[in-house]
Amino acid sequence: MFFDKILSHDKKEQRVIENIREHIKLLCTACNTFRLGIGKNNRKLINDVAELERKGDSIRREIISNIYNGAFLPYLRPDLCKFVEIVDRVFDLIEDAAFLYLSMEIPEHANREENKASFFMGIPEPVKNECGRVTFLNVRICEMLLITFEAMLKGEDLSEKTLAIRIYEKKIDDIKFNILEEIRKIDIDNFWEGKIVSDFIAAITRVSDIIEDASDHIQIISVSMR
Amino acid sequence: MWKVASGVFLGWSLGANDSANIFGTGVTTGTVKYRTAILLTAVFVLLGAILEGPKCMATVKDISSLTAMEAFCCTLATAVTMAVLTFMAIPASSSQGIIGAVIGAGILSGTADFSKLYKIVSCWAFTPLIGIILGYFFYRSLKYLLNKTVNSLTMRNYIYFVGIIIAGSYGAYSLGANNVANVTGIYVGTGILSAETAAILGGVSIAIGVLTYSKKVMMTVGKGIVPLDPFSAFVVVLAEAVTLHIFTQIGVPVSSSQAVVGAVIGIGLSVDLRTVRPKVLAKIAAGWLLTPVAAGILSYLLIILITSGIV
Repeated sequence: MFFDKILSHDKKEQRVIENIREHIKLLCTACNTFRLGIGKNNRKLINDVAELERKGDSIRREIISNIYNGAFLPYLRPDLCKFVEIVDRVFDLIEDAAFLYLSMEIPEHANREENKASFFMGIPEPVKNECGRVTFLNVRICEMLLITFEAMLKGEDLSEKTLAIRIYEKKIDDIKFNILEEIRKIDIDNFWEGKIVSDFIAAITRVSDIIEDASDHIQIISVSMR
Repeated sequence: MWKVASGVFLGWSLGANDSANIFGTGVTTGTVKYRTAILLTAVFVLLGAILEGPKCMATVKDISSLTAMEAFCCTLATAVTMAVLTFMAIPASSSQGIIGAVIGAGILSGTADFSKLYKIVSCWAFTPLIGIILGYFFYRSLKYLLNKTVNSLTMRNYIYFVGIIIAGSYGAYSLGANNVANVTGIYVGTGILSAETAAILGGVSIAIGVLTYSKKVMMTVGKGIVPLDPFSAFVVVLAEAVTLHIFTQIGVPVSSSQAVVGAVIGIGLSVDLRTVRPKVLAKIAAGWLLTPVAAGILSYLLIILITSGIV
């Protein structure tokens, strides 16, 4: 076991890194699929998000199992595991948002007959564009997380990358406040309709907060190994 | 021949105690398994004792001319002093203990050579100081070198792991080379053992201490030290090993614990952090003074008791 570890060089670690990379890439795909699903009002794409979340779960389990099977120094293991768990929380949020989107009813004021073919779900019209912008920025912030992770692996300076993530997060926060102002003007017919819309907005705007936490954690991992 | 029994006992307790300075942090943080750590320590302690152990034996035997019985009393007094001070949670050094005991016995027999003492005491004073300097120097230079050459996270992880193993093995080698004189060096002067036999016997007794009874101390010391990052842990052990090796070449047995504390302070200085509390430093200073004095008085009393037939 001891000599295996010395002779195998960093094979176990490379496998974990490869899996983490795949996990973040899958997150980018999930965010993009969600964005496209909303943009095209495509139920199939939205359903695919749940499938991607399950795949992400399986990769997360593999990463954690490999880490506790001896990859990396024990000093680093908790931080790596925590990073993976944080990324997994984003998957959960995107999946929640997808389910909430699917359970949204077409608002009473919309023309149901007209919307049936192409518009079977409904984000309230006054905030629809803003929600679209948030999902677009969510894809960008996930891609930035992948770039930050790659930079950390190479031992590069992370300050610019984490700054970019913070800027994206700030942008999304600003959009969130606009949405919250707009959404008050919308007539809600019943409690559940309002709650689903509110939860949906909360879910898509929280993604950036969690990605920011993940990028902070990348910074911690980087500093702790320097 | 039974008179070497107290030396073997001292070697056993030294192995059980001082191996914690080498792989303590590595084991408690899970970097190295306990079994791997004790096997590596035992092998390299024995190797160090056999290859370079005789270098420090001359210093111990030259302080005073002792009979076999006096040598027995000296090692016994050192072992008892160390046990009592350890029980009182005061760091005790076997190197200082044995020298103090030999001086005590030498005063009684009138053979103590105080001219050799200045070299020994100055080496004791320089041990933590060299630990500080090496800790500071290694931390700065190796960090600079690593930052310039190794940027990949996985490669750094590998280097730290291998570094801790190599520095630990070197630390064990230096411990054996430097501290075996404390255990059986005294018998060389009495003519009971040749330097080579003393080195093998001392090395084996230290190795047995490592293999049979080091777990408890290793866990306590490993968890008691400020939680160090892998790089700092590697630097501490490397600085300790080099410090002990330097004093082995000079021919003076010194304290591995004081070298470790010095290295930790050195790292603290290089990153501008307070790594050791003043209270801990006071305890170390108390041990520094108490160990040789207590061992000297005890060996003096033991010899009187035994030679006068009271015991």
